[in-house]
Amino acid sequence: MEEEEIEKAVIAYLKKKGFKQTELAFQEEHHQHQNQQTKNSSSSISSSTDPDIAKHILSFSESENIPARYHEGYSKLRSWTYSSLDLYKHELLRVLYPVFIHCFMDLVAKGHIQEARNFFNSFREDHEMMHLRDLQKLEGVLSPSHLEEMEFAHSLRQSKVSIKICQYSYELLLQYLHKTQSITMLGVINEHINFQVSPGQPASISDDAEVVTLIGSSQDDANQINQKEIHWGLLEGSLEERLEKAGGLLSDSEKAEGEVKETDTEENKKRSAEGGKQGSSIKKLKKDKVVGAAGKTARPEANAVSMAPRVKPELALPVMPTEVEQSILEDLRNRVQLSSMALPSVSFYTFINTHNSLNCSSISHDGSLVAGGFSDSSLKVWDMSKLGQQAATSIMQGDNDLAPTEQILGTSGGKRSYTLFQGHSGPVYSATFSPLGDFILSSSADSTIRLWSTKLNANLVCYKGHNYPVWDVQFSPMGHYFASSSHDRTARIWSMDRIQPLRIMAGHLSDVDCVQWHINCNYIATGSSDKTVRLWDVQSGECVRIFIGHRSMVLSLAMSPDGQYMASGDEDGTIMMWDLSSGRCVMPLMGHMSCVWSLAFSCEGSLLASGSADSTVKLWDVTTSTKVPRSEENKSGNTSRLRSLKTLPTKSTPVYSLRFSRRNLLFAAGALSKSG
Amino acid sequence: MSIVSKETIEVIAQSIGIANLSADVALALAPDVEYRMREVMQEAIKCMRHSKRTVLTTDDVDIALNLRNVEPIYGFTSGGPLRFKRAVGHKNLFYIDDKDLDFKDVIEAPLPKAPLDAAVVCHWLAIEGVQPAIPENAPVEVIAAPSDGKKFEQKDDGLPVDIKLPIKHVLSRELQLYFDKIIDLTVNRSDSALFKEALVSLATDSGLHPLVPYFTYFISDEVSRGLNDFNLLFALMRVVWSLLQNPHIHIEPYLHQLMPSVVTCLVAKRIGNRLADNHWELRDFTANLVASICKRFGHVYNNLQTRLTKTLLHAFLDPKRSMTQHYGAIQGLAALGPNMVRLLIVPNLEPYLRLLEPEMLLEKQKNELKRHEAWCVYGALLRATGQSIYDRLKMFPALPSPPARVFRTNGRVVTSPPNKRKANNEHLEQQPSLKKIATDGPMDVVPTNLSSNMQPPETKGPVPSTDPDMGPSSSSRQIPHGNISDSRDRKGKGDSRALKMSAVLTQTWRDDLKSGHLLVSLFELFGESILPFIPAPEMSLFL
Repeated sequence: MEEEEIEKAVIAYLKKKGFKQTELAFQEEHHQHQNQQTKNSSSSISSSTDPDIAKHILSFSESENIPARYHEGYSKLRSWTYSSLDLYKHELLRVLYPVFIHCFMDLVAKGHIQEARNFFNSFREDHEMMHLRDLQKLEGVLSPSHLEEMEFAHSLRQSKVSIKICQYSYELLLQYLHKTQSITMLGVINEHINFQVSPGQPASISDDAEVVTLIGSSQDDANQINQKEIHWGLLEGSLEERLEKAGGLLSDSEKAEGEVKETDTEENKKRSAEGGKQGSSIKKLKKDKVVGAAGKTARPEANAVSMAPRVKPELALPVMPTEVEQSILEDLRNRVQLSSMALPSVSFYTFINTHNSLNCSSISHDGSLVAGGFSDSSLKVWDMSKLGQQAATSIMQGDNDLAPTEQILGTSGGKRSYTLFQGHSGPVYSATFSPLGDFILSSSADSTIRLWSTKLNANLVCYKGHNYPVWDVQFSPMGHYFASSSHDRTARIWSMDRIQPLRIMAGHLSDVDCVQWHINCNYIATGSSDKTVRLWDVQSGECVRIFIGHRSMVLSLAMSPDGQYMASGDEDGTIMMWDLSSGRCVMPLMGHMSCVWSLAFSCEGSLLASGSADSTVKLWDVTTSTKVPRSEENKSGNTSRLRSLKTLPTKSTPVYSLRFSRRNLLFAAGALSKSG
Repeated sequence: MSIVSKETIEVIAQSIGIANLSADVALALAPDVEYRMREVMQEAIKCMRHSKRTVLTTDDVDIALNLRNVEPIYGFTSGGPLRFKRAVGHKNLFYIDDKDLDFKDVIEAPLPKAPLDAAVVCHWLAIEGVQPAIPENAPVEVIAAPSDGKKFEQKDDGLPVDIKLPIKHVLSRELQLYFDKIIDLTVNRSDSALFKEALVSLATDSGLHPLVPYFTYFISDEVSRGLNDFNLLFALMRVVWSLLQNPHIHIEPYLHQLMPSVVTCLVAKRIGNRLADNHWELRDFTANLVASICKRFGHVYNNLQTRLTKTLLHAFLDPKRSMTQHYGAIQGLAALGPNMVRLLIVPNLEPYLRLLEPEMLLEKQKNELKRHEAWCVYGALLRATGQSIYDRLKMFPALPSPPARVFRTNGRVVTSPPNKRKANNEHLEQQPSLKKIATDGPMDVVPTNLSSNMQPPETKGPVPSTDPDMGPSSSSRQIPHGNISDSRDRKGKGDSRALKMSAVLTQTWRDDLKSGHLLVSLFELFGESILPFIPAPEMSLFL
């Protein structure tokens, strides 16, 4: 019986491979052999063949029916996994997803399109919860050539998935695969999965965040990159540091008061800028001052910041004019101390009558200027301090050359409450104010970045370098340098005085959607549609960290003021807190129902504000999470909690941008959307 | 399987003038077209995200096409998202409602107003973490029930949390006084005339909304504590009733707190301490209350009625529950409408009655009180089913000419299908009667000296006076037979008068088939006592 089957299998194999001669020879020999056997039927040679090998050979014969074998193999593996021991089940379940997508891609690669579709649809539901977006992408793969063309599929085919699994689960799996002779599944697993077998107990379910995300570059690479050293400390000689020293000297309150008086005049000057809300803002300033004075007594809190190590700047940083320095120092002194008990005040700028055309907004450090980038290629800047007075002096400006005529037009028009900047030839996707508020950068779908002066109301420079729409642009914390990110999968570093980029950061597998500077200007972070966040060294242009864990495109980033942590928000409404030094996720913050457009840390890093498309501003307490593990530094720092402190709903206004002023007043902006 | 099929490609090819596209080409094109479409959509979604929107517009698609160096599709720009309409009869087919415009109309129409220019307005979203109640902010839930604060504390168990105080809101002095007064009246003087005045005030005053959470809390608290105090419970239920009547109160958010207390009053095992307490009355009252709540809020809370009926049915079907609980459950279900009774009670009627019967008999149940309770339940059942059957019968077209009996019988003679059904009915009627005897049979084994004859035990035992409806079931067996024979006799007398009625009757019987059966089975279960519920003309129809 068995022997006959084997013979059939061999013949089938030979036929398939096209060995006609061999086939003939084999059949001839086979006939002779059979004749012989009938003669001396008692003596059997077949007994010597190993049954195992027979089965192996048999399995080849079925190769005509590949799709069915994939389907059957996978469904068996699946039902086995689901019925496995509870303790090990979640580990084994992790294996299913990579096996599933690779089975699918194998089928597609072998040209069984229809069967691949059937296979995909019959098991799709299992993975929808965790990997919906990936599945949606893969669904479109309909021919072998698409596999090559599609970046995502291609990278999946190229790389192996690493799965951490405990010793026993691994043995269970192997035993199953051997026992059931599921060669196909074994092949898939061998080819595409790299097991990291760890001795001992299975890992807890909560740890598998990094495991479930399949990325193009292998986990190993990421781990290797994350080994690199980074200096996340604050800059040497920063203003905060100087303030600390000054604060130490000003031991008695008398002196402090004297200082306040001394700077009062300056404050009056600043008032117009900080204000915008006339009476209320002045009141606010006074309140700030009082609380700020009280805050001085709470010095230990502030010390947390000074504990961070100091690093030297890698870039030549611009020198700050002394009067600006003075005003910043003044702001720092009057800063409100925020904590979970003392929540910030939030001032909300609502854009009205935008007709769905507002793409982005930005707020200057003192909240006096608000910029909006529109899909009609225009950039509009509102001066909030003039808003109430129905500014007659507002000036419309086009290009430099046209300035004189435009100016006349602007004054005669008179009615416009904002300054219009025209120059882009595509939707404006991002705008950013320089730290001092005298420049604005805007990036657009026309692949350019433009620098505008708020003093001259004119376009100064047009930076051309990207080849595709520039999604985001951000000034460095010290000004002068800026970073941009684009659809061309690169991020670039520029300085204001050069029209060529200084560095090009390439490595992301998809669009770079957002960019953010580290507080010490030595690093930038980029978030991408490939669901990762990367940290780059500005000086060398190298990628120094890869943060894996998001399940959808990363839309917003924020750096903590002590330089150790980073927050990133994605399309699903998840916010993740990352520890820069270890490259690990401290904790995901769930709560938003929709895209997180904007994130901001309060100035002393105790609060995180997030603005979302679900029309809310949420305040999160991040002190417990960030400070506790640092002091204890043990792995069981899981006790740290990040919790939502407050949800501030707006009136059907998605929140586009957030900004803490230096005095810890939170500014938020968004466009009123009527449909809600 | 795939979105773009071979046929689609063929149709598109034809529409642009390629008549003879070979099948192979279409087959090769279809998957590629789908892939390109998905690619464009992926890019378009990216553009949408970067425009900080959550709805895809045609502009996004145009930009995506631009990114791929494809000419954008002109003519669809609308400034907003497109409004799709679902094609009638197809699940996944949508179209854009594109109206024909007359050029003349467009040209002659006055120029539209220039759209308002973009502007920025500023307001405080929060001041030190607290949202000011200004029109620019989203309306905040001003009132927070006192229990909310409690819940918050319990939620974060174990973890050191800075305890969040319940949101303060000012309750005016007058309201506080009013509340205290009402509480005092409810607890202590619920029989005074003043309490009635208070109830009227609760049902009509407009400014009471801030007090609702307090009332809710008070009621649920008192009900859980004061199950022994009949008067208090009754007073509380009256308060609930009044609150529900008040058109100015938005009571929905608090229903979930109220419902348990109300249902408790309906199906509690014991209500009140003394025998004299007429808890039946309270249960009746509460049943109506529950029904009115269901009627009013059933559409807001979809599962309100289902949950309620589930609770009640559970109480009704559990033989371990006491008679009082059964009574409450039956009353509650009955109050929810005849349909509920027909769906939930009637199917369970027969086994239930079998359980109930021994409880009602003197021989079986020596405890006077228990027997009384059983009779009450029996009465409730009777009423519920009777009402349901009445309701059913009421729907039939009113039949003219009062001496209908002759008519009807004639009708049956004239139209043959009803006749058949009639025969069926007869059969049914006889069979159950036999069954009845069978069920009665075992009871007769009870050593009473009269057991030899087949008279049902009800006639022997002194029927408690509380239930005058209950007739001797012996007649129940005889009457149908009598009627049937009667009608048979009259068949002969049938004449042509009935012809015009026949159509109506056929209709009636068709609808009626079910209720006919229902009636028959009820009749067989309850005996004659069900008959008063059947309106005279209709009854004659069945007899």
